Amino acid sequence: MSEARQQSSIVGRPVPRKEGRAKVTGAARYVDDLTLPGMIYGATVRSTVARGRIKNITFGEGVPWDELTVVTARDIPGANAVALILLDQPYLASEFVNHPEEPIVLLAHPDKHLVERARRAVLVEIEPLPPVFTIEESAAKKEIVWGEDNTFKSYLVEKGNVDEVWSRDDVLIVEGEYRTGAQEQLYIETNGVVAVANADEGVTVWGSMQCPYYVHKALIKLFDLPEEKIRVIQTETGGGFGGKEEYPSMIAGHAALLAWKSGQPVKIIYDRAEDMAATTKRHPSLTRHRTAVTRDGKLAAQEIEFTVDGGAYATLSAVVLSRGTIHAAGPYYCPNVRINARAVATNAPPHGAFRGFGAPQSIFALERQMDKVARALDLSAEEFRRRNFIREGETTATEQIIREKVDMAGLLARAFELSGYEEKRGRFARENAGRGKVKRGIGFATFMHGAGFTGSGEVFLQSIVGCEASSDGRVHILAASTEIGQGTNTIFAQIAAEALKLDYDMVEVSRPDTASVPNSGPTVASRTCMIVGKLVESAALGLRQTLQGAGLLAEVYTADEWREACRRHTERHGALKSFSQYKAPPDVVWDDGKYRGDAYGAFAWAVYVAEVSVDLVTYDARVEDFVAVQEVGRVIHPVLAAGQIEGGVAQGVGYALYERVAWREGRMANSQMTNYIMPTALDVPPIRVHFEETPYPYGPAGAKGIGELPMDGPAPAILSAVEQATGVAFTHIPLMPEDLMKELGDARD
Amino acid sequence: MRLPKFAYLAPRTVADAVKMMGDAGWEGQFVAGGTDLYPNMKRRQQTPKTVISVARLAELNEISGDGKSGVRVGAGVSLTDLIEHPVIVRDYPSVAAAARTISTPVLRNMGTVGGNLLLDTRCNYYDQNYEWRRGINFCLKKDGDVCWVAPGSQKCWAVQSADLVPLMVAIGARVRLVSTLGERVIDAAALYRDDGINYLHKRHDELLADVQLPALNGWRATYKKLRRRGAFDFPVLGVAVRLDVERGGAVRAAKVILGGIAPAPVEVPDAEAALVGGSLDDERMRRAAEACYVKARPLDNTDFVMNWRKQMTKPYVLRALEELR
Ligand SMILES: Cc1cc2nc3c(=O)[nH]c(=O)nc-3n(C[C@H](O)[C@H](O)[C@H](O)COP(=O)(O)OP(=O)(O)OC[C@H]3O[C@@H](n4cnc5c(N)ncnc54)[C@H](O)[C@@H]3O)c2cc1C
Ligand code: SF4
Repeated sequence: MSEARQQSSIVGRPVPRKEGRAKVTGAARYVDDLTLPGMIYGATVRSTVARGRIKNITFGEGVPWDELTVVTARDIPGANAVALILLDQPYLASEFVNHPEEPIVLLAHPDKHLVERARRAVLVEIEPLPPVFTIEESAAKKEIVWGEDNTFKSYLVEKGNVDEVWSRDDVLIVEGEYRTGAQEQLYIETNGVVAVANADEGVTVWGSMQCPYYVHKALIKLFDLPEEKIRVIQTETGGGFGGKEEYPSMIAGHAALLAWKSGQPVKIIYDRAEDMAATTKRHPSLTRHRTAVTRDGKLAAQEIEFTVDGGAYATLSAVVLSRGTIHAAGPYYCPNVRINARAVATNAPPHGAFRGFGAPQSIFALERQMDKVARALDLSAEEFRRRNFIREGETTATEQIIREKVDMAGLLARAFELSGYEEKRGRFARENAGRGKVKRGIGFATFMHGAGFTGSGEVFLQSIVGCEASSDGRVHILAASTEIGQGTNTIFAQIAAEALKLDYDMVEVSRPDTASVPNSGPTVASRTCMIVGKLVESAALGLRQTLQGAGLLAEVYTADEWREACRRHTERHGALKSFSQYKAPPDVVWDDGKYRGDAYGAFAWAVYVAEVSVDLVTYDARVEDFVAVQEVGRVIHPVLAAGQIEGGVAQGVGYALYERVAWREGRMANSQMTNYIMPTALDVPPIRVHFEETPYPYGPAGAKGIGELPMDGPAPAILSAVEQATGVAFTHIPLMPEDLMKELGDARD
Repeated sequence: MRLPKFAYLAPRTVADAVKMMGDAGWEGQFVAGGTDLYPNMKRRQQTPKTVISVARLAELNEISGDGKSGVRVGAGVSLTDLIEHPVIVRDYPSVAAAARTISTPVLRNMGTVGGNLLLDTRCNYYDQNYEWRRGINFCLKKDGDVCWVAPGSQKCWAVQSADLVPLMVAIGARVRLVSTLGERVIDAAALYRDDGINYLHKRHDELLADVQLPALNGWRATYKKLRRRGAFDFPVLGVAVRLDVERGGAVRAAKVILGGIAPAPVEVPDAEAALVGGSLDDERMRRAAEACYVKARPLDNTDFVMNWRKQMTKPYVLRALEELR
């Protein structure tokens, strides 16, 4: 009798993680565990200045240079550009450098110590050019450091006509300016790859990464080889958070170039300092808001100027900006909206993907602005929000009609109930009036996060997932979506098992390897569960249809009958495979030119409440309690889902109060974990996670996306709480004790 | 970052250890838990050719005595063992509490009392990897000839950053140093020099054998540490206070030592004077805190702006004194 039959549902249960056992027993193999015969070690020589022209490269004394493999831009067989959206970023600078960590020379040798010594012995003489380091300098075109006008990308979203509103006499106008800092992803495993490359076999790369097919595409261009000559294999990956979305294409190219020239396998593993300094971080941002509200507290117009600092090259700035832009007006209905968004260039290492992807920046600004407007109206922050929450049938800033059930007011009520918001708000106000040196506050943020690629992104991606049933009835999922700690393998197996009514253990997820899995798109944008998961579901159902179509399987079947059907089918016809390709749900229409339409297939909706204490003696702000309420469709795996929220909130606490990148001449001066400080277990509050589940018809088993959502809410909620505690409406993050002291110093006796 | 190559020796007796050090000369260095030395070696701040471990020296791994007679703590005792030792917990709670503020449980399992007392001084321009430091052309403390914190200064201002140091100085602990030339016992206070490079009055070849905690005869002490997070972080200010209080409640003697602001622990005689002579009332406490505030002149070479660190002196001294009230 089948086990599967007795289990009514696999989705929604906390089944053990697929790769969990291997990870806790140490059997899981990460890239640095990989050693190939004859393997040598690579290192990168980088620029020493933010911007300049390379004059001369000298290879200093005391190093047996003839033993080393040395690669410069001249050794590149194909195009010297990391293929992503634009082809502007070189693998190795040949004449100009545009940021202080720009790679110039690659070295490799069997002796790790010698490579490090050699790296130190390379002297690159660079004639400096005037650099640009801030959004303001770049926007003012003080120097043109990229393209014609320092602008990677700009968007204009227009809904209604804001200009007609400003002069109306029934509105109140409130302006504000908000800033967010850079943030480092701080995955546990640093970036690393191993590469084999030669003219006969082509190029094979193993590495820690989120998007094998991005690397694949980049290497095709770099080596000018046909796609079947490039193979990319993901090794077990210790976290990504977006930090392994685009950067692996760079380091993979470097290792492959060294392998190509030396004829030997090459390993490059960054140490923490190099990883922090040289790889991508979250885009810093500057947002200006101008909001018009009617006296009864309805939004009449929102004009938003949203600018992000993209660093020296375009990388993913255009799409980060896009997501930030679309989220900039939030889960509110406003008839007139204009969003002017821009990604500008500076001479810092390129900023890139990081969980939330532009949305945490613009949502931070919006939520602080909403609090400010509420104050101007003399309404409570919650009442002002309630009057403006978007409802089913209303349109977002891009005029997307909300067709799903959405109940932000209900989520707000739930979050307030769980956090005791109203009681605490009143009590803290009374207590703060006293002489105590520790002030308390409670605050919240209401927000939404779109799942999947923005606009027509998913249509362009055309993602494919395969399922293969072997003769013993086991089902193998073939997808390029990577397990990076978030639980891809587990939820895919759950989704397929649920669809086929088979036991969870009968489903396996194949290792992402471009030689054997189809391109299911990148593992980013909260798309893995909702978009790719849906493809997993339909590919799995395809297997069943085939078996049933061939008359081998009845409508209702046991696991044994399934096994038998698979055995007979493979005997007769060979491999049993089924593929499924993305199709947009009906009525999802996007106009790229006007930046208008259905930006996302679905949104997750959330209300986060933070409670803080601020010590007026030490200016230490601490998050004491946190409630996260969200509607994310059906929850596939409750433990993993809660883990996503908890981790995202912790990262958000760091973003708000701890993690400051100290920039010095475009370089991260605190590229180590002793002085780039992230919150520890002692600094993170209890996080109470609550899911409202409204099944989404186009998601697998009703699920939507979840991964990025929790990054959006903590910072504005925390600053709102700090505002209650201190009476000061801070407008920037990270908010450090020094900042609090500067602002509150006078309040001390 | 990788460790450079080095020879590793693991002697079993103190006599062997100091002999090996004599042989190794300037190229030799002792290591205990290695939680400071190895990272420093990876960053090429220190580059010994011979590293001599004290981990196997039984004599250095003991805690003996009690509060009545004083306690001898071997330099090789791990911070975890120190914190958990029943006699320390009972008789020297301030020592256990100060040690508990050091870094994290994992690092305390490896880190030792001796390593803590001899911890290298720290500075934002120095605790960086080689490339980073090369990027600024190094600094006085290692490989360079400018101090970036105080350009024009011929002195290095790297900061004393070990949590046990201010407390050991405040309570009047003594340390025993051994070399091939014999041994000597000096006050912990006499161990430190106000120079970020040569921050110890200890010859390079001397082994720190143990720390002697004074007998309890009515004194009490405490240590308060300023840092950003609940774990990991080095102190950016440490306040250690010892008070000898008479039966009637009058303060007979006081020691107030600030850590984390200068190359050596800083004694504040004005604060001590303010505290002595009567009972610990608000006014005395306020004057002591004020004296510390005046004396504390942190430089801009640790995390956080120095003004914040200076501002924190008063409340931290008050917190320490309140605890001893
Ligand atoms: C992330 C991190 C956080 C930290 N946080 C803190 C903190 O909050 N507070 C704090 O005080 N420290 C902190 N430390 C520093 C360090 O871990 C501790 O100070 C620890 O006690 C050092 O002891 P150790 O045995 O590991 O020293 P080692 O690294 O073994 O040695 C330190 C120095 O002392 C010398 N030495 C050691 N033993 C002897 C001996 N018996 N005789 C002669 N010389 C000797 C060594 O040559 C070396 O110069 C931190 C370190 C890290 C990596
Ligand atoms: S204080 Fe000056 S000399 Fe000393 S480590 Fe810092 S920068 Fe170098």
